[in-house]
Amino acid sequence: MQLHQNKMGDVLIVRPLERRIDAATATEFKEKMSEWIGAGNRRIVLNLSEVDFIDSSGLGAIVSSLKKIGNDGDLVICSVKETVMSLFRLTRMNRVFDILPSEEEAIGALSRRL
Amino acid sequence: METTGSIKLIIESKLENVPLIGGAVRGIASALSLDDVSGYHLELCVVEAVTNVTKHAYKLEAGNSVELNILLFPDRITFQVCDRGKSLDPAKVRLLRFDPQKREMLPESGMGLFIMHALMDEVYYETESGLNVLTMSKYLRR
Repeated sequence: MQLHQNKMGDVLIVRPLERRIDAATATEFKEKMSEWIGAGNRRIVLNLSEVDFIDSSGLGAIVSSLKKIGNDGDLVICSVKETVMSLFRLTRMNRVFDILPSEEEAIGALSRRL
Repeated sequence: METTGSIKLIIESKLENVPLIGGAVRGIASALSLDDVSGYHLELCVVEAVTNVTKHAYKLEAGNSVELNILLFPDRITFQVCDRGKSLDPAKVRLLRFDPQKREMLPESGMGLFIMHALMDEVYYETESGLNVLTMSKYLRR
């Protein structure tokens, strides 16, 4: 799975370059996120602008990344398509994650925190 | 009620094949003029079901067949996901309960059956002579 990543200050921005985060790709997504978190990244923006399909395995991988960050950091999500947003609402994960309209707003929200 | 059309799709039990089924379901949803979110919900439920079969019924062992029957009725669309692997334990269907504030307790798995039951109008599972069939129906508002 291709993930674009860049840093702005101490915020890591991760943007999957594929349309799907599903059972076939969730393990690789989780492993790469785990590697970056293990390297000390505790403030992460996940930009889902390219993603129009997430299943429960993909959602589980995103939740796993948040849990790996722990309580001294955060994972903020941005640019979510309406299809994917419906999954966050259905599973109430929209109450777990801050989900913001744009990458700039997500970076701003993380920069003001901690 | 008689069907107005039907399609049968068969894939080998590999996770990388599941998007093929998903794409077919999305195409059918588009042909039925369903909106993007409704089409996504149909694709999501079928993908969850086929993934469950691949992961749990066949334990990620390739070389088995997963069959999807798509039946179109005047008032609904029905999906039957069939396999000859390990049967599902119906007791595994559970509510998705968690405290959003308790990060360490958030669920990472076990959401697939919840999603299917939440999005479909009818879901039932039966096993006969070693054949497991998960049937899901969604009524169409025209």
